[in-house]
Order: sequence, then structure tokens, then C-alpha cells
Amino acid sequence: MIARRPLTAIGRRALDGVDAALELGRVAVGTIVGALISYWRGPRRRGEIARQMYFIGNRSLLFVAVTLGFIGMVMVYQTCLLTTQVVDGRGQVGAQFARLLVLDVGPSLTAMMLATRVGAGIAAEIGSMKVTEQIDALRMSGVTPVDYLVVPRFLASVIMTVVLTMFGMAVAWGAGGLTGYYSFQINPRTFFDLSMVAPAHVWLGMTKAAAYGAAIPIVAGFCGLRAKGSSEGVGAATTAAVIGSSFAVLIIDFTISAIGLIIWGAGL
Amino acid sequence: MTARDGQAAVELEGVGKAFGGRRVLAGVSLTVPPGGRLGIIGPAAGGKSVLLKLIAGLQRPDAGAIRVLGHDLVAAREPELAALRKRIGMLFQNYALFDFLSVADNVAFPLLHAGVAADEIDARVAARLRAVGLAGSESKMPAELSGGMKKRVGIARATVARAELVLYDEPTAGLDPVTTSKIYDLLRADQAETGSTAVVVSSDVAAVAAFADTIAMLHDGRIRWVGAAAGLFDADDLVVRSFARGEERDGAAVLSRSVEAARPAPGAWP
Amino acid sequence: MIFRRSLTQLGGRVMAMARDVGGVFVLTMEVLRALIPPRLDGRETVRNLYKMGNRSVPIVVLTALFVGGLMVIQFAAFVKQFGARALVGWGTGYAVFREVGPILIGLMFSGRVGANNTAELATMTVTEQVDGLQALAIDPIRYLVVPRVVAMMIMLVALTVIGDAVALIGTMIMSYVVLDIHPYTVWYSLVDNLGPSDFLHGISKSLVFGAAIALSSCYFGLTVRGGAVGVGRAVNAAVVGAAVSICFLDFLMTYLTA
Repeated sequence: MIARRPLTAIGRRALDGVDAALELGRVAVGTIVGALISYWRGPRRRGEIARQMYFIGNRSLLFVAVTLGFIGMVMVYQTCLLTTQVVDGRGQVGAQFARLLVLDVGPSLTAMMLATRVGAGIAAEIGSMKVTEQIDALRMSGVTPVDYLVVPRFLASVIMTVVLTMFGMAVAWGAGGLTGYYSFQINPRTFFDLSMVAPAHVWLGMTKAAAYGAAIPIVAGFCGLRAKGSSEGVGAATTAAVIGSSFAVLIIDFTISAIGLIIWGAGL
Repeated sequence: MTARDGQAAVELEGVGKAFGGRRVLAGVSLTVPPGGRLGIIGPAAGGKSVLLKLIAGLQRPDAGAIRVLGHDLVAAREPELAALRKRIGMLFQNYALFDFLSVADNVAFPLLHAGVAADEIDARVAARLRAVGLAGSESKMPAELSGGMKKRVGIARATVARAELVLYDEPTAGLDPVTTSKIYDLLRADQAETGSTAVVVSSDVAAVAAFADTIAMLHDGRIRWVGAAAGLFDADDLVVRSFARGEERDGAAVLSRSVEAARPAPGAWP
Repeated sequence: MIFRRSLTQLGGRVMAMARDVGGVFVLTMEVLRALIPPRLDGRETVRNLYKMGNRSVPIVVLTALFVGGLMVIQFAAFVKQFGARALVGWGTGYAVFREVGPILIGLMFSGRVGANNTAELATMTVTEQVDGLQALAIDPIRYLVVPRVVAMMIMLVALTVIGDAVALIGTMIMSYVVLDIHPYTVWYSLVDNLGPSDFLHGISKSLVFGAAIALSSCYFGLTVRGGAVGVGRAVNAAVVGAAVSICFLDFLMTYLTA
């Protein structure tokens, strides 16, 4: 009897996990199908998508600028410290930095920031609607919550994540160049060197950005729609969205990077 | 597909529902004829709201059969339920107004998603808002409204699409007696106009008994009593009678006390 | 017209930011004052440590494993081009210990523990439990905030140590799989070129990040307004505040300690 209780607890938790995974799958499929349908027919709610794009951009522009700016400065600082340890490799820092920024750091760190800002925002919004029965009220009018709430955020997020990634990379690049110039006397002409950035790098980086932009609203929308209870429920949903979408960013980063390595190999 | 004459608008048989091991409903059976006015009363947290959500097809039962407007809700798939829900209006306990839409847009929402033409939407929304006494508040946001006004917006939204069945969850909770009687006047007027069926869940026993033609009392997950509203206060069942009269909030306590009264008092010598 | 509106909006946002920064600063001072005769609610601290650790270890281990592997993938092209196989341990270790480890583990910790803490405190605030504490003459700073700040600082340092070790394992696995480099090579490349200072550089960052995450999460939790909607917003604001603080403090500490 005593031995059975933990077992049933584990069993129940496993069932809950399977249930949640199925539900996440349903939200993901529903969102992507809904987005494709709205693309096919021409989006019926252009205004709503534009409004969501404005929200995402308006809420995260300053945030992305500040965080990516500091990260660019730190990266250049640490790389210069490392390269000046053995031989003076300062001439190469700019070119390598640009490559790494386009290939991985720009998209991934911008997306980590958007996961906290946009992901938490979507989950808080949809979660509050869930606990105040607004989701049920939507369903009473024959509206599917995923179509109505998640699809416009999904389309807006894919576009805005790509845009904000480019913006974040530009800020980090500029901030890195300033650090190189003021702290390590690297000539800006030497630093702002794009010779190491190949089209494949740009493709890979932008594919990552689009994939992150797709994953964040799906995970966050799923967390919001599962909110239960009242204020605790909304808090729990928002927390789950932050960690879930951050982790989704990591997994996607790993997967796409590995695929890129397999396709391009040493050329990357 | 509409309810045929003689067929019940709502029919529940042996409906059970549990949440995480806690049984809320344990075999509820109920019938509401088309055009009927059913009031559901019972102790707080006794599953009344869950019952309404089951009838609306927002949740699915664990056991039993539910037929609403000629549809079997247990067998129906989500698209069929979504289509059916458009024919049902619902007033939620905490209004559930869309906080990102204005009053007029809230009321227009069901029409917008039923494919009604734009100019007709405007006319019907304006008429409905006049009927609930909110003309002039069209462009206000829900956050700017008082509780009674939110209720009235909720009622307007629930009835604007001329639903065949309207479910009201606590339409008068937290409102003063004057507003309460105004709200029930509204429900009566709406029903007279559209001939819809109404199911009202309420803790305000006297007010709902004055509105409904039939009253059902939900107690311990079952229907304890069903009968004409007029007979509620003289019901044979002690639990029902005392609950309705508000003599003792907890029916179980009444029972145990009445059993105790039959016993000889302690210290009384035989 | 639009220009003026966005300018007003920007001004409003700057004011709000100044208010929050000031608020966090005041909270920091209050926490320090509460610690001046070093009195700490031991039971509450241990309870928080246990809860936070329990909640965050799996996610940190997974994160570190992926990060260690990712570093190898990013390094792979460089290694293949220049044949710099002996540099893998050094390069990835340098990046992970000094920067990537503390930042990513800090962000994950903020998302998991910081956000959860905000939600908990915010719920206590909106349900008037914090007022209830004050009515019982219990100082919320001493009882609620200080144990959480201390616990988060200790826990994030511990998690960074664990995370560094796990990331190293991830690096070794991926080096072996992708580049066919033996784990020994990675290990010696790391210990021969990196010193305790690199490791401690990252650890000291984690200590500071832990304090920043805790203060941001407690501040936004205790100043919440407006029910369920407010709780969601507070959590959002807390993780955003923590992320900005992490990036800023990271720069500051790199600059100061280099």
C-alpha cells in the first residue's frame, strides 16, 4: 500500500505529461494549420496581425537594444583578452565576431530575450483570459481560441523576431566595434569586416530566427490556455511560458546548428 | 435540426463529472421543455456552474447523456459543438467580458462570428443596448463599468444572437434588490420576445423562484428536488424547504439536528 | 502627431523605468539594513533553498548539456579549417566558464525560480497576505525578501558549478561525436590553459546575478497591482528586469575585473 502510493503518483504524473504533450501538439498543429489557411486565403484579420506586430516591436525594441548591446561589448572584450594572451590576434577579432553574431549569437540571444518578454506577455494575456472565462466566452460564439488568439500572434512573432534579430545584431555589432576601438585600439575599418560571413551563415541565422519566432508564441499560447484557478494560475502559466520558450530556443538552436554542420561541414 | 415540438430543449440523464478525484456531479438527471424557465439552486461550490458548462458543451461529462437542442453532446465532435454553441447564449458568473473590446464590440462579437451583415449588426447591437439600458455607453471599455453594468452587457451579449437557449450563471450575485428585479425583468422581456428556453443558476432563491417556472435543487452532486417554483417554500423535503427559506444554510446540519432532536436530551431521566 | 505621441510614450517609459530602478535600489538598501546585525531566518532560507534547488536542477543540467554541445558545433568549423584540435577544450571552456555559463544559467534560473518567486509573492500581495503579515508585526522584508535573496545567491552559485561541470561533459561528448576528439584531449587542453581565475570570474558573476534576479523578482512581486492580470504582468516585468540586469552587470564585471 505504501509502495503503491508513490507508484500511482509517478503514473499520474506521467499521464499528465503525456496529456500535456498531446495538448501542446494540438496547439502547434492548430496554429500552423490556421496560419497556413490564413496565408492561403489572405489573412482576414490583417489589422490584428499588425497590432500584434506593433505590440511585440514596441515592447521589445529598447529591451533588445540594451541587452544585445551589452552582450556585443562583452563578447568583443573577452575575445580580445583571449587573443592578446598568446599572439596579437586583434586584427581577426572583428571578422570572427561578425561571423559568430550572424550565425548564432544574434538570433539566439535575441530570441532568449524575446522568450522572456514576448513569451511571458502572451502567456499572461491569454492566461488571464482563461481564468476570467473569456476563453469560454469566445467558444460560446463558435470561435476557436487557437485561431483567434494564437494564430495572429504567431504570424506577428515570426516576422518581428526576424526583424528584431537584424536590429539586435546591428546594435551588438556597433557596440562591439566601439569596445574594440576604445578598449583595444582596433581600427573600425579593420573591425567592421564582413569577409568571414558567407551567405550560408546568413541563411542559417535567419532560419533560426524564424524558427524561434514560431516556437515562442506556440509554447506561450499553450501555457496560457492551460492556466487554471485565479491569480496563482496566471503566475504559474507565465512562469511556465518563460522557461518553456527559453528551452525551446535552446533545443532549436542545437538542432539547426547540428543540421547546418552536417550540410555545410567545414565550409561553415 | 431545431428542437421539434414536444422534444425537450435540454435533457440530462445520469450526468457525472469529477475534477482530479473530487466528484462534483454524481448522476444528475433533468429535463427542460422548449420555452421553459428552469432555476437551479443549491449550496455554494456544489457544481451548479459546472452543470451549466456541461449544457453549453464547454466541458464534457465523465458519465451520462446530455441532449441539447436535439444534439447529443457526448457523441458530438468539436466542430459540431462549436456550431451548436452559436445557438446558445451564456452569461458567465464573472461576466467574462472581452477586456480588449469596447461595450458595443463585446455585444457585436457573437453576431460578427455568425456571419451577420455589418449594418444589421450595428442595428441589433444598438437595440440590445437600449433594451438593457446601456445606450450611450457603446464606446466604454469593460474596465470602466460597474458590476451591474457589466452584468447587463453580459446579458446583452448572451441574447443578441437570438439564442434558442440562454444559460445564466448567477445573473444577480452581488447586486442590490432593485437592480436584481430589473435584471429579471430583462430576462423575462427577452424570453417573451424570442421564445427562448432559459436556465438560471442562482444563490438568490427568492428572486429566481419568482422568475422560473420550475426549480431544481442540486445537493451533494444530485438533484435533490424538482418541482413547480411556487411549491418550493412548502416542499416536503426538510433540507429543500429550510434551504429555500434560508432558515439553515447547511441542509446537512438541519438533518443531523433533526435526528438529534428525536433523541432524548442528555441528563433527562427516563 | 504620431511623433509627439511616441515621444510622450518614450518619456512615460523612461519615467516608469526610473521608478522601478529606484524601487529595486530602495529594496536593496532595506535588505542590507535587515542584514546589518546578521540575523537570518534560517528555516525560511533552508526551505527556499530546497524548493529552488528542487525546481531548477533538472532544467539547468539540461541547459548546460545543450550549451556544452552547442559550443563544439560553433567551434567545429574553426577546428576543421585550422586543424586546431588542441584548442577545443580551451576555447569552449573559456567561453563557458567566463560568459556563456553564468549568463545562460542565470537566464534559465530567472525564468524558473525568479519568475516563480514573483508569482508567489504577487499572489500573496493581491490576496492581502502580505498586509496580514504586517498586521502581525512581521517585517515582510526580513521574513519574505531576505531569505529569498540569500537562497537565490547561494543556489545560483551552486547551479553554476554544477552547470560548468555538465557543460564540460556536453563538450566532451560532442567533440567525440562530431570532431572525433578524445575527451582526454579536451580535458588537458582545458586544465593546461585555464586557471582558477577564469572559473572564479564566472562564479563571482553568478553571485551578483543571483542577487539581481532575487531583488528584481521580489520587487515586482511585492509591488503588484490588479488581480490575476497584474500577477501575469509582474512576472513578465520581473524576468525582463532580471535579463537587463544580467546583461548590464555582466558587462560591468567583465570590465572591472579584467
